[in-house]
Amino acid sequence: MPTFKLDGKTIPFEPGDSIIKAAERQGVEIPHYCWHPGLSSPANCRMCLVELVPKPGQRPMMLDVLELDEATGQYRPAQKPKLQPACYTPAAEGLEVLSDTSPHVTQARHDVQERLLLNHPVDCPICDQSGECKLQDYWLEHDKSGKRMRDEPVHKSKGVEFGPTIVYDGERCVMCTRCIRFMAEVAKDPVLDMRERGNLNEITVGPGRQLDGHYTFMTEHVCPVGALTTKDFRFKARVWFLRTAASLCQGCATGCNAHLDYDPRYNKAYRFRPRDNEQVNKYWMCDEGMLSYREAHDGRVLEASVRGKPASVSEALAAAKDLFAGVAKESVAIVLGAQHSLEDNWALRELGTVLMDSRHVYVSGRPDGYEDTILVHRDKNSNTQGVKTLAPGARPLSALLGDVASGAVTHVIALGGAAPVDAGDLEDAKLVVVAAHEGPLTKLATVVLPATSWAEHAGTYVNARGLKQVAEAALEPLGSSRTAWSLVAALASALGYQPSWSKLRQIRAQLTAPTAADAPAAAALAE
Amino acid sequence: MTATLLLATIVKILIMVMFVLNLAAILTWADRRQSSMIQDRVGPNRAVIKIFGKELRLAGLLHPLADGLKFFTKEDFMPPNADRLLFTLAPIMAMGMVFTLVATIPFGDTICLHQFRLFPDFWHVHTGPHGELLDGVERWGTCAADSRNGYAPLELVVAPLGVGILYVFAMSGQGIIGAAIAGWSSDNKFSLMGALRAASQMVSYEVTLGMSLVGAMMIYGTVRLDDMVRWQQEHAWGIFVQPLAFFLFFAAAVAENKRIPFDLPEAESELVSGYFTEYAGMKFGMFYFAEYAEVVTGSMLLVTIFLGGWALPFFHRDGLLVQFGDTTLLRVAIPHVFVTLLGVLAFFGKVIVVCWIQVFVRWSLPRFRYDQLMKLGWRLLLPASLANILVTGVVWLAVDKAGSAASDGLRIAADVTQAVVAMAMTYLIGRGVVGMFGTVTHERNIIGTSAGIAARRGGTKTEPMQA
Amino acid sequence: MATATFPKKPADHINAKPVEYAPHDLEVKSYLPEIFRGVGVSMKHFFENTREIVRGKLPDPVLDRYDDGITTISYPEQKRPYPERFRGVHRLTTRTDGSMRCVACLCCSTACPAQCIYIEAGEYPPGDKRRGYEKYPVKFVVDELRCIFCGYCVEACPCDAIRMDTGMHAVPYDSRDQFIYDRDLLLSFEGRDGSHVTANARHEPGDPTHPGLTREHSH
Repeated sequence: MPTFKLDGKTIPFEPGDSIIKAAERQGVEIPHYCWHPGLSSPANCRMCLVELVPKPGQRPMMLDVLELDEATGQYRPAQKPKLQPACYTPAAEGLEVLSDTSPHVTQARHDVQERLLLNHPVDCPICDQSGECKLQDYWLEHDKSGKRMRDEPVHKSKGVEFGPTIVYDGERCVMCTRCIRFMAEVAKDPVLDMRERGNLNEITVGPGRQLDGHYTFMTEHVCPVGALTTKDFRFKARVWFLRTAASLCQGCATGCNAHLDYDPRYNKAYRFRPRDNEQVNKYWMCDEGMLSYREAHDGRVLEASVRGKPASVSEALAAAKDLFAGVAKESVAIVLGAQHSLEDNWALRELGTVLMDSRHVYVSGRPDGYEDTILVHRDKNSNTQGVKTLAPGARPLSALLGDVASGAVTHVIALGGAAPVDAGDLEDAKLVVVAAHEGPLTKLATVVLPATSWAEHAGTYVNARGLKQVAEAALEPLGSSRTAWSLVAALASALGYQPSWSKLRQIRAQLTAPTAADAPAAAALAE
Repeated sequence: MTATLLLATIVKILIMVMFVLNLAAILTWADRRQSSMIQDRVGPNRAVIKIFGKELRLAGLLHPLADGLKFFTKEDFMPPNADRLLFTLAPIMAMGMVFTLVATIPFGDTICLHQFRLFPDFWHVHTGPHGELLDGVERWGTCAADSRNGYAPLELVVAPLGVGILYVFAMSGQGIIGAAIAGWSSDNKFSLMGALRAASQMVSYEVTLGMSLVGAMMIYGTVRLDDMVRWQQEHAWGIFVQPLAFFLFFAAAVAENKRIPFDLPEAESELVSGYFTEYAGMKFGMFYFAEYAEVVTGSMLLVTIFLGGWALPFFHRDGLLVQFGDTTLLRVAIPHVFVTLLGVLAFFGKVIVVCWIQVFVRWSLPRFRYDQLMKLGWRLLLPASLANILVTGVVWLAVDKAGSAASDGLRIAADVTQAVVAMAMTYLIGRGVVGMFGTVTHERNIIGTSAGIAARRGGTKTEPMQA
Repeated sequence: MATATFPKKPADHINAKPVEYAPHDLEVKSYLPEIFRGVGVSMKHFFENTREIVRGKLPDPVLDRYDDGITTISYPEQKRPYPERFRGVHRLTTRTDGSMRCVACLCCSTACPAQCIYIEAGEYPPGDKRRGYEKYPVKFVVDELRCIFCGYCVEACPCDAIRMDTGMHAVPYDSRDQFIYDRDLLLSFEGRDGSHVTANARHEPGDPTHPGLTREHSH
């Protein structure tokens, strides 16, 4: 692999890499606003300027400047190296780059930062980006000086609604054009552009259009400052109160990696942010996915119920015991949940096929929906592939309806409340549902046990491409919910069986060891 | 007959409970008022009542009333994770034990009533040539053994138990439970530590409390409290017979009440307020009240065992008899009922005086450190009480062996103690009255920073709050 | 047998003055003499005061008023002057037009070591001139029981919207929920000068004191 030197450190690169990308891969950050690893490089923020040391014998590229002579008080002509944007300059073998060690680069960063803040309103207290804003970070790192301009700053439009999800503040904008490039390059919907020039420069929406579609939230995420804010998160929380957990989007079978930001004081989730993973979602997430953090709180089953009436978990377990008293093994069915983790499904499969010796195994989940070629998958369940590996012979829920109608199945234990088809015929069966979310099955169920959602427990999910990924727990269990696998264990005990698992690591040991195909996923998780 | 007995018992219960309740309430005031007088402060004066346009402050005597009202109207808070049953039960137990305890304390001599007539013939006094009552009661003993002449006894004690003082110990031992479960159920570390301190302190001092009385029981020859008083009436007060035991019992009783200097379980500087930190409203009020009720019952026990109970010097069931050995100086026949009533008043008066002294102790002494408290209990008070038992036994045997001369001498000595008590009481009362006529000198010093600031600003009287 | 000494004897070279303890003789150890002496002092004061009361020489502190500068203050009638910078119960200040100064930035809640401030921010309705520039608190709750009156919230506030200059100290209530001060209650409090605004002027856009010219889109 070819290498170049950055501040004396050897940096390997792949042909075609820019200096900033090669450096970032090695964990060396060159400050930048407009450059994004997933987007093209416009080189317009000028924050990533670096000094290129000419090769021996090569004439240095110098710039004529006027320099103040302190002694005489006069300006005198001088020369300084012409700095190059690291995001646009391709790395080359043997190149010598000076970044932090060059006084010219240091000065350039200071000046660029000062320029970017010239017309900035500095309304950090009411800005949602405050706390994760690059202007704040780089001012502290590279500027640390007061504002010298005494003129009225340029005023631009504020609080402009770009669309149903995004609000734009022109005064905070640094014109990095990341949002424009994202919409054009990734979302393939070039709806944003800029107008005017210089300090009147602004982002606008194309005439007759508004910023909509399935990837509007990403414009806010790529925005390095507080210019774009989402209506969903706007004014909801200050980011320094939030803690984050490496979670997984549960919206579809793509299994996008995401940060789940939550406030531990209120035990409440506030947003999803994409978590970079080249294998799955690169740097992006869709709008539906980013809003799916709400499912940590919305539509949850928080209390156990028996025949629609609230009950304690122990009462519900006793009711389930009565329900299953004296039932024949042949007429018991289990329904695995494609929305629940591998561990939960393993526990239910263990209860159904090993302890209860049932041969009726079905799988349920949400019905299919919208798909596109970028990220969104047709299958709206996060773990369909995982259930398939656990129970290859599992039949769809529609088959269960037929079995119930024919009387082959009278008692059903289901994981998850969702159903892809109209499950009204299940009314005839005695249904016990362990679910985190309300759904058709929880409405039909005789006994409902409250399970924790993906946000409250660690779980393994297999995405559509067979990648096994782990989501961390963020919140404390809401209401009286418990992890589904422990509820299944409690259910097994209530039904008179001896569950073979009582801890998560026992289940994880039972799950098949990672295969070679999972290795990149493991590496991604380790990262 | 039975109905009359029942009525009499109800009246006795009412007298006893009302006395304890009211004295405890007044003690909450006395504690504050007396402390202010000890420390030359202003003291409680805020509670005011307006009658006919006049403001009545009564030196803060209305404060207990205001406190009671406040306790009832305050939020009855319970910590979310508290044990609800025990948390509610604890103040009831703390308070209930105090009141069950007073059942066996006699507050007067047995009255001999003639067949419980509605209007008994109290006034009829027949005296013999030597001034003794002819058809009345015996000078010693009770009329229980003497029912042949138609007199029935009315014992002035709620429950005349044969086990007497043992019952008292059994009940006062239960006081630990109230404090312990209060601290345990509060779900608070301070409360729990306070409860542990309370439990260990009360268990430790319970031992001394019991041991210090063994000597007294040996001399009195009984565990019945009324018989103890009768012995003291006949001979000498317990404080003269068992002086060391008196102090031991006094110290142990204060420690049992968890009052300063032994209020470690509720030491504010360390444990917020100990085992009742989480209590508010009337539940706290019950603990607060139980503490003062314990002071009253403790004083009652002390009076009964060491200060002659209802007995007054030279007053006997048949009247006043000033006698040293066989020398009679004065003999006045008084109807038995009047003497008994005088005894009842004397008992309650003595209890009030002992309570008053306990308040002095509380406001004069600093709090012990916990290890000092334990050392005092186990290394000083307990050995002293054991030694007291030994010495009492040895002296008792020696007197027993010495013959009649010694016992006669002791008898005269006992009569002398009665005289000493009588003279001391007279002197103290006289001294108090005379002392009221001394000159009054005022001396005011402005001490403290805030007072200095206020004085420099021209006082605090008229200036509205500048802040 | 070697005897263990506890506490350890200090080394000789330590430059310290030995503390003199009272002799541990029987008189001290039995406590009684000192107790009698102490109680005696108490009684002396008690009876002297009793004598003054009996003879009517002790003035009633409420009705007659004590001398100036006596330590005891009869509180509701007499009040001790609070220092200039006394931190009392919070208040929320208003602008000159009567609207809230608070912009719900949560700086106070961030600075609060007792975590007693709860704020929910809201957006101004469409058409409001502050929409897009500012937010405002929909809920602003101070738990005065949790508050430790450190004043950090006042220090942290960039808008001078929360102040502790009401001059009111925390008052006793009957129940805990009465200590939860909500936004409107906090807005209703006055400063010591009797005003709802603060001495620190806020330079609104359009005011002549505003450092900028105008917020209007000038091009």
